[in-house]
Amino acid sequence: MTVARLELVREPGDVAGWEPSTRDTPVRVRVIDGALACIARHGVAKITLDDVAREAQCSRATVYRAFPGGKDGVLRAVVDTEVSRFFSALALRMGAAADLEDVLVAGMTEAATQVIDHQALGLLLRIEPELVLSQLAFARMDEVLAVTCTFTAPFLGRWLDQAESKRVAEWAARIVISYLVCPAEGVDLTDSTEVRRLVRLFVLPGIRALREPRRGGDARDETCRVGDRTSNASYSNRIMPITKGEAS
Amino acid sequence: MDDPRQRILEATYVCVARWGLSKTTIEDAAREAGLSRATVYRYFPGGRDELIDAVVSWQHLLFFVRLYEEVHGSASLEEVLERGLVFARRTLLEHEVLQKVLDTEPDVLMPKLTVESNRTVGLIAGFLVPYLHDQGVAEGVAVPEAADFLARMILSYISSPGHWDLGDPEQVATLVRTELLAGVVADRTAP
Repeated sequence: MTVARLELVREPGDVAGWEPSTRDTPVRVRVIDGALACIARHGVAKITLDDVAREAQCSRATVYRAFPGGKDGVLRAVVDTEVSRFFSALALRMGAAADLEDVLVAGMTEAATQVIDHQALGLLLRIEPELVLSQLAFARMDEVLAVTCTFTAPFLGRWLDQAESKRVAEWAARIVISYLVCPAEGVDLTDSTEVRRLVRLFVLPGIRALREPRRGGDARDETCRVGDRTSNASYSNRIMPITKGEAS
Repeated sequence: MDDPRQRILEATYVCVARWGLSKTTIEDAAREAGLSRATVYRYFPGGRDELIDAVVSWQHLLFFVRLYEEVHGSASLEEVLERGLVFARRTLLEHEVLQKVLDTEPDVLMPKLTVESNRTVGLIAGFLVPYLHDQGVAEGVAVPEAADFLARMILSYISSPGHWDLGDPEQVATLVRTELLAGVVADRTAP
């Protein structure tokens, strides 16, 4: 997963899909785009390099010249590209957020939306779920969490120190993955209002607790109390110095 | 032990431990159980696939039964979660058959486990509900959603602890206090 290849200048609308390629497009790009289009139609198991070559309007030999690893090499490039697009979409949203609550809501909503709207991923989840699900448990999910954390934690760094940022980034990734792999009735993470509710209910109090001495300690600050959750307008402003007013 | 279905499951588990999920056949399971192929098919008409799925389901359930036995009787929700996380993680790591299959056939096992663990969210949530009622949930939180959230998080940490070391009681206590319970339970130190 090459974070270095991120294209931060893309508009959010472009990132969810892909641009149709033309004969002027470099072969490498045409092959990657073609392979993604093939996967979105037929999944991974059934596609061949011939399918990819046809879609990319070039010969099989040309595909091999660009990707000596053959199908595996092409697939790796497709995954790298899509992972980069995913994180660049996240970067756009998270980079524009005004406070800690917003950056969490933006990142989690965008992550869920990117996954759910991704045509190829959607098809894979229907016809070859093992490809995707086998990445989202045990040691492989630890790797997914680590990569996500490396990329997203710095966006939290405006409001949290480095250690806190890492914890919270990993935690937010867990929450998103859980609801994507096992959808809950009535919780739609592509809806920012619902994500905001989750963040306010569970995540922000957890961050506050992280900064607090252990229970039983006497250094509790009254202004740090979770307080009344029903009046949410000023809720995030009260719980910690991480908000619009104090950040600006 | 005279329940043939249970006998077949246990025999199949022995075969899986020996040969893995993909290579275990109905014949292997029948031979190990000392039953005929026809008997195995009578209990598992779907054949090999149904049998393998049933073994995974059964072992998965067994894991959560053990987890339940470990934590039930805990005095508080904190204790349930702390004991549960430590025990569950250690049990997974020490589970030789699971670790072997995860190592050699992750693509076969993991999707099956995902299906199972989706069913388990409700099971764990149901177990936590009385504790949440006892302890009191934070204002604005409903007991079922708190239970669902906790169940999801528990499954996530058990499976992939990320940067947390669930062998370290100090870290587990911090995890429970912050990422699990901070938003869920009523603040008991409040006046």
